[in-house]
Amino acid sequence: MKKQLTIIAIVAAAAALLPIIIGENPYITGIMISMLMMAALASAWNILGGFAGQYSFGHAAYFGAGAYTTMIVLSRLNPNPLFGIVAGIIVACIIALVTGSIVFRLRGHYFGLASIAVAEIVRLSTLNFEFTGGAQGILLSDVSLWGIDLNSKNPFYYGMLLLLVVTLSITVWLGKSKTGYYLQAIREDQDAAASLGINLAFYKKKALLISAALTSVAGSLYAVYIRFIDTSAVLDLRLSIEIILTAIIGGVGTLWGPVIGALLLVPLAEVLRSNVLGDLLVKLGLVSETSGIGIFLKENLAHAHVLAYGIITVLCILYLPKGILGLFRRVK
Amino acid sequence: MIQHLLYIKRLNKHFGGNVAVADVSFSVEEKQIFGLIGPNGAGKTTLFNCITGFYPVTSGDIIFDNQRLNKRRPDEICHLGMARTWQRVKPLGSLTVLENVMIGAFSITSAVGEAEKMAIEQLNIVGLSDYATKPAGSLPIGLKKKLELARVLATHPKMLLLDEICGGLNHTETDTILDIIRSVRNKGTTIVFIEHDMKAVTSICDRIVVLNSGEKLAEGTPEEITNNPDVIAAYLGGGHHA
Repeated sequence: MKKQLTIIAIVAAAAALLPIIIGENPYITGIMISMLMMAALASAWNILGGFAGQYSFGHAAYFGAGAYTTMIVLSRLNPNPLFGIVAGIIVACIIALVTGSIVFRLRGHYFGLASIAVAEIVRLSTLNFEFTGGAQGILLSDVSLWGIDLNSKNPFYYGMLLLLVVTLSITVWLGKSKTGYYLQAIREDQDAAASLGINLAFYKKKALLISAALTSVAGSLYAVYIRFIDTSAVLDLRLSIEIILTAIIGGVGTLWGPVIGALLLVPLAEVLRSNVLGDLLVKLGLVSETSGIGIFLKENLAHAHVLAYGIITVLCILYLPKGILGLFRRVK
Repeated sequence: MIQHLLYIKRLNKHFGGNVAVADVSFSVEEKQIFGLIGPNGAGKTTLFNCITGFYPVTSGDIIFDNQRLNKRRPDEICHLGMARTWQRVKPLGSLTVLENVMIGAFSITSAVGEAEKMAIEQLNIVGLSDYATKPAGSLPIGLKKKLELARVLATHPKMLLLDEICGGLNHTETDTILDIIRSVRNKGTTIVFIEHDMKAVTSICDRIVVLNSGEKLAEGTPEEITNNPDVIAAYLGGGHHA
């Protein structure tokens, strides 16, 4: 446990130095913030999916709960942004508690399906309520915290890094606690777990609450960072899926798997989205810009990152069922 | 006066139109080793599932240690002091043998260090210490059965429900398990024991109930049971390996 926490501290210290080394480069910093956020989200999801084996397909609900609550609180009352984060945690936990009480009566695939349903209910309600800004979303014009320049990206880089460190530390602590052992027992065999005195619903809810609270903090940070949210940005099913894929491709149930998944997939999505690949092929003269393939690459490859995720996932399931981290373990 | 730890009163369990357990009553004294036998499909495992809270009962009462168990969850029943093993073993496959037993010990303590200490103790008792760090899923069946036993013993139960704990084991392994069961009883734990192996049952049990097609066919001491003509017709003489 000490060893793992030391490694986390060393990695975090190295990551904390990165913005200083790179200097002022909003584009690169932006991508790094996305990586840290996805790493934190996938790690938070992993507490429920990896430990307890409960695959949630609706974690966008908790991300969105954090984002929306923070934005509503900040745009109306303009308090310290930290209040927004705390309010987000509370709302996310309430949703998690209600969801958990209902859906944890279900086992196996039904839990996954129910989690999608709950996330869609949250999304559609948000889209149709007035106080959430409906389809227009919410714009935040001004925000300040202790005189820190929140127009710079660096505070959010450190915010996301801190969230990731907290999430990983909780994962380590869980791995060595009664709760963590109980969650793993639930993952392995629910009947055996129950017969050994484990209150299934209680421990699943506990894992969901921890996971939802951490996820909502990421949503709050994201909202204040971007300063504009709507349902397609923070409550979409696509976000839920991206979180799961990041964890699965990196390695479910491992400490560093979700982080590795994020370090790999976020830049990949960025490359595909910004069409670096298509531009490169044109520049190298491999395809003509005006040819059919060239136009296809330019027009469509930008949307291809979701497809790429899909292909990588299929390959992972076929060849790396334990994720990328599983590959290294096998080699070792 | 004789202390009864478990009363089963007119228990019925129906699955739709199928009657799995029909009007079964018996009671188990403290520190008894109580056998539950019968041919396949007699309702033995169903009865266990009802007692330990995995199936809701259709009618009847289950009273354990002066508490009615009918509507309780399996984990609550475990905390009341009744633990069970599974006919089809349920190891927590990717956890180590030691961690499996720690899960049991966690029902008594929340401290990881203490749970580990108690688990090691149980592994010593069943003779699995050498396998402590192996993944539970990798054990052969004989050792998995011992693991089931160590895991429930770690919950320090007042009563232990063993569902064919000797099934699929050879004679040496069976004898080891029976020795462990005897010593557990001698330390004060009451045992209810489902078994196919007649030799094992008659050699270890103080009292036996025979189930057939969900109904109680006979009850008595091992001698009474082996000499009961109904039992011989239904079970011992029915082409079964005695």
